[in-house]
Amino acid sequence: MKKAIALNINGDSYDVLVNPNNTLLEVLRDKLGLIGTKRGCDLGACGACTVLVNGEAFLSCLMLALDAVGKEIVTIEGLVHDGELDPLQKAFMENGGLQCGFCTPGMIVSAKAILNEDDHPTESVIRKKMAGNLCRCTGYKKIVESVLSASQTAGKER
Amino acid sequence: MRLPKFLYEEPSTIEEASSILLEKPAAKILAGGTDLLVNMKHRVEEPTVVINIKRIPGLNYIAQENGAIRIGALTSLKTISGSALIAEKLPALAMAASSVGSYHHQTMGTLGGNLCQQNRCKYFNQSRWWRSARPLCFKAGGEICHVMKRKEVCHASYCGDVAPALLALDARVRLGSKTGDRQVFLNDLFSGEGKNPLLREKHEILIEVIIPEEASLGLSSYIKFANRESIDFPIVGGAFWTSPETKACRVAFTAVERKPVRGEKVESFLNGKEISREIMEEAMILASKAAVPVRNSIYDPAYKRTVMKLLLQQLVKQTTGRRVS
Repeated sequence: MKKAIALNINGDSYDVLVNPNNTLLEVLRDKLGLIGTKRGCDLGACGACTVLVNGEAFLSCLMLALDAVGKEIVTIEGLVHDGELDPLQKAFMENGGLQCGFCTPGMIVSAKAILNEDDHPTESVIRKKMAGNLCRCTGYKKIVESVLSASQTAGKER
Repeated sequence: MRLPKFLYEEPSTIEEASSILLEKPAAKILAGGTDLLVNMKHRVEEPTVVINIKRIPGLNYIAQENGAIRIGALTSLKTISGSALIAEKLPALAMAASSVGSYHHQTMGTLGGNLCQQNRCKYFNQSRWWRSARPLCFKAGGEICHVMKRKEVCHASYCGDVAPALLALDARVRLGSKTGDRQVFLNDLFSGEGKNPLLREKHEILIEVIIPEEASLGLSSYIKFANRESIDFPIVGGAFWTSPETKACRVAFTAVERKPVRGEKVESFLNGKEISREIMEEAMILASKAAVPVRNSIYDPAYKRTVMKLLLQQLVKQTTGRRVS
């Protein structure tokens, strides 16, 4: 039986009709057209579908849409403010932190969650906390460098 | 991959959740969802009702009371591994919580959900397509166990990381229901049976974990031996606790049997002893016999027994800071 719910995504309220078995990822991509969040393994092993739920990194493929009611959800689309890219997005571009780009939204959102918790994470902290985001192109080095560079930029801005 | 269809319930009290479980025995409890939803996508679990207990208030806390540490079942693994109190008093628990899956799983996953996770087997945790090459296994609703080629048994292993740490810390769990609460030792929560790994009444819900003061006065640690640092379940996981005063100790392993096991023979052998090289060697042999792993993962049972042996050595070294080999 479908239910009408309101989801708070990227600061906007969306009214959607969902089935109990719809995951947040399905609603984001298939109902709302927010296709920046990627569907990778769809089993919680690759991290491509990472979104922020109340500021923390959640796997949207393993979260029911009904469970997301009342929570603040931010997707990769929500990191852009007034046409200005987030410092993390800029850092990924400047440091070559992506190749094919499929894992990138998940990588950047996971990195955002890390920087939300800790302004200046060490390389080992970044590597441990992003270990659930798989990338088949870059070999991770430039991704970690991008996050480190963004954390330094963030520090300077403050 | 779509989830199968189900009815969704969002109770606001334990009593309400318990009533739903009583009325609908095929219902499943949803907490973090990182275990249940994967199994549902694979169609090895298809509950008719899913009860989301995350909206029940008052189950997310870490508190110290008369020395004992109490943790609510909905406390996330990330909160536990990040807690200064847990890191100081119960390092084994902090280490175990931070070794579960990836950081995302630790953010989403809860203490209660991790303890109550399904057992795992290479014939069970597979997609429907993969499993379609064989008759349905007993755990997934068929008749035969492909591990032992026998009917109506299940040899899936318990692979949770947190349970051995809590066993070594001698924890108890509180089960809530509409008819009242009861406390059991964590060891008594596990049935040792692959198909239904938990021993609880169908209307009971794990609501709290209680770790006695004695545990926080000792030293403890957890080691997960796995293929990769992220995502993987342990090939073998081990936890060790010892009291510097009495030299009493407790050891527990995971991913080697149908339930997390205490190495009781190792414990009684090591109890009160100053651990020398000879004693360690003997204890390691006992550790390798603490469980009987079967061929239900891609790792050979003999290999798992060797890992158990080496884990004990590493655990003692890591816990006490002394090299004994």
